[in-house]
Amino acid sequence: MRAVNRSSWPVWVGAGAAFAALMVWHRSPLLSYTPNFTTGYMLMGLVVFLAIYSGRKRLSMLPLGKASVWLTLHLAGGVLALALFWVHIEAIWPLGASERALAALFYGVCISGAVGYGLQLWLPGRLAHAGQEIIYERIPAELATIRAQVEKEILEAAKESGSDTFGREYLQTLAWYFARPRFFWSHVFGGQRAEHWLQRHLNTIGRYLTEAERTHLARIAELGVEKRRADVQYAMQALLKRWTIFHVPLAAAMLTLAVWHLILVHVFAR
Amino acid sequence: MNVHAPTMVRPHRWDVPFDSVMTEADVDVLMSTPVVASVRAEEFPGHIPLRGILLNDSRIVSFQPGDIVCREGDYGNSAFLVLSGAVRVVLSPSLPRELLGRQEVHKKGFFGSLTQLWTNSRIPEVRDTERYHNILAQSRGASGAETHIFLQDVPAVLDQHRTVTLSIGQIFGELAALGRVPRSATVFAETETRLLEIRWQGLRELHRYDPGWKRLIDENYRRNALHGVLRTNPLFAGLSAEDLQAVADQVKFKTYGSFDWHVSYKEMRETGTAGEEPIIAAEGVVPDGVYLVRAGFARVSVRFGSAQRTLAYLGAGDQFGLDEIYESWKSGKPARRQNSLTGLGYVDVLRVPSHVLEKYVFPHLPAPPPPALPVDRPIHDDAFAEWLVDERLINGTQVMLIDLDRCVRCDDCVKACASTHGGNPRFIRHGRIFDQWMVANACMHCRDPVCMIGCPTGAIHRHETAGVVVINDDTCIGCGTCANSCPYNNIRLVEIANPTGDPIVDGDGRGIVKATKCDLCVEQLGGPACARACPHDALSRVNASTLVEHAATTVPAGAAP
Repeated sequence: MRAVNRSSWPVWVGAGAAFAALMVWHRSPLLSYTPNFTTGYMLMGLVVFLAIYSGRKRLSMLPLGKASVWLTLHLAGGVLALALFWVHIEAIWPLGASERALAALFYGVCISGAVGYGLQLWLPGRLAHAGQEIIYERIPAELATIRAQVEKEILEAAKESGSDTFGREYLQTLAWYFARPRFFWSHVFGGQRAEHWLQRHLNTIGRYLTEAERTHLARIAELGVEKRRADVQYAMQALLKRWTIFHVPLAAAMLTLAVWHLILVHVFAR
Repeated sequence: MNVHAPTMVRPHRWDVPFDSVMTEADVDVLMSTPVVASVRAEEFPGHIPLRGILLNDSRIVSFQPGDIVCREGDYGNSAFLVLSGAVRVVLSPSLPRELLGRQEVHKKGFFGSLTQLWTNSRIPEVRDTERYHNILAQSRGASGAETHIFLQDVPAVLDQHRTVTLSIGQIFGELAALGRVPRSATVFAETETRLLEIRWQGLRELHRYDPGWKRLIDENYRRNALHGVLRTNPLFAGLSAEDLQAVADQVKFKTYGSFDWHVSYKEMRETGTAGEEPIIAAEGVVPDGVYLVRAGFARVSVRFGSAQRTLAYLGAGDQFGLDEIYESWKSGKPARRQNSLTGLGYVDVLRVPSHVLEKYVFPHLPAPPPPALPVDRPIHDDAFAEWLVDERLINGTQVMLIDLDRCVRCDDCVKACASTHGGNPRFIRHGRIFDQWMVANACMHCRDPVCMIGCPTGAIHRHETAGVVVINDDTCIGCGTCANSCPYNNIRLVEIANPTGDPIVDGDGRGIVKATKCDLCVEQLGGPACARACPHDALSRVNASTLVEHAATTVPAGAAP
């Protein structure tokens, strides 16, 4: 797993200092009013700032600083927001249905963000050394090419031997493997299920084939390894892309509910 | 095919001449000048006649006394022939920057950049064909009036700077035009001067088809290259003008490899078999002099096992072979070369013979530091450098290097590139990989941009101030020469469409294509958007000469190969 960027420590120290200052202020005996409005607005401001990170990505034509600095601010801001959230509600889990819905969304955003960042630290290094780097969008085409080559081998084997043994076995078992990405989670966690599955089926069919057909079987075994490499790329790249499907909509919903919460608080605080 | 597809006339070489005000009458006048009259017009092929070159690849420009013709450090794509008057070449010291009136690179403003957010088309490669028509019309009917930067105080310049005069019939600027290097000196008009400016495509044809011009250009090229190199090399810094001239008289000038080296390199990549690199200086023999690299690249290697092990690569300005000769001279014992120098593609070298060094240079030279060649290091420490040299990536000045250990494949770099180029990304996040390092398919803005060789219109050129290699979309005719020449497949030909998405075709129904590539965001604020957009600092644009260092400093501890 890749180490967290060491040059980002000033941002983290800043976030820690901000939180310490907040705690000193929040616990101050001289504070003559309830601080929840202030912490609420602070939290709202921070959440809006965190949401701006998404906007920064769309404004890459403007010199708004390096995205890596923005990411560090986003991460440190996220951690600070979680701490501020607990200070604001003075608990881990609030009372009231609407507050609980808001808290659930907030925790959902935090968890999906943490998981996403963890994946970003964990998977790139494994992808880099998984062999055969493929652009995600090209993986279906790559799989289709492999599948076409496999089927060509099967047809040639049938033509040479005059037997349909190989073809039938392909349709019953191997076609499943070559049809689309398989063994998703095994690939994500570095498992060997795909290799074992392929080897088992190739060995099983091998004993029923002629010598000539076995030549084609060996070629299919090579294509199977290529397919597995493409599957590994697919599994890890898909995960790296899909976590935002949870994080971004949850954040949008949370932000919407937070605005509603703000309106309610002002209406009922009178 | 869409029967209503918009059409345009297929572009051709010379659709956009170098200067539209050139007329047949001007060509007649030029044909009567001695330098042009001596050209053997019958040697030129029918589709590139001499008159066509003069009409379309050259122009006559006039200068008043003090007007600057070209500036030191600029990337120029043309050479000049003095038709009347005289010009002065400033040799040393160089003119100060403020005197040269350098222009700033035109950059988009903040709001200009922001408007790309909504003006970028969702349809790929949209072009305004009306604009092309207007440019063609303007280029055929424009007035030739030009403004020039001029020197305020010419007498002071003549007092304070060493200069030489070039008069009628002499050529200058061919070094930069043919060698794809920056102009080596500033030239200004001494009197009222008329010059024939020939863009490099025309110069190349003259060089190719006329023996007289070839001799003239080669002699000039060699003489100017030699003086330029000797003037700037610290080895000869302490020599008097007479001694320097004596050295210059005995220097040998040699070229190794083909000027179009990318052709054999591409063949090598396709066939997987590398041709023999031309040996410039062999290991184990008595050294015959010091080699100074003028242009191109060379490999320093030593025999290791059954192959050559790369110790370093040399580029323009580097030298090879001083240590053995100096030690031999100092100790009085004969020495042999410790390693070899071989050419990588095309390389221009100067050899200063040993006896010349012993007579003029060594008596005044402080002892050079002992060579620090890494022969004791494990070979895998050099594997990355070997790979860079083998792949000729050493040519790049702005290599897009992606650390795959950090890259999360989010494609923010690609999206950023698209957002700054009308919605069209100008690179592919894919490329050659060594360990966790990927050199992506993005223009590297090479030191030796071979993509420029053969462009019939000069559409692909060095940006005059930024130095990056850019394509002028207005004059690109989509011939694909640059894309075929690029050894790294970093130029793409794209079919263009009108704003409604219909492909633009010529009268025969064939699609019009344009060459596209990374322009290093030369007109954008804040530099390359790709590097700025990477949230994990995985992508950087680096000079190949610092690439090995870069990898060594950014590889996490313990993760080095």
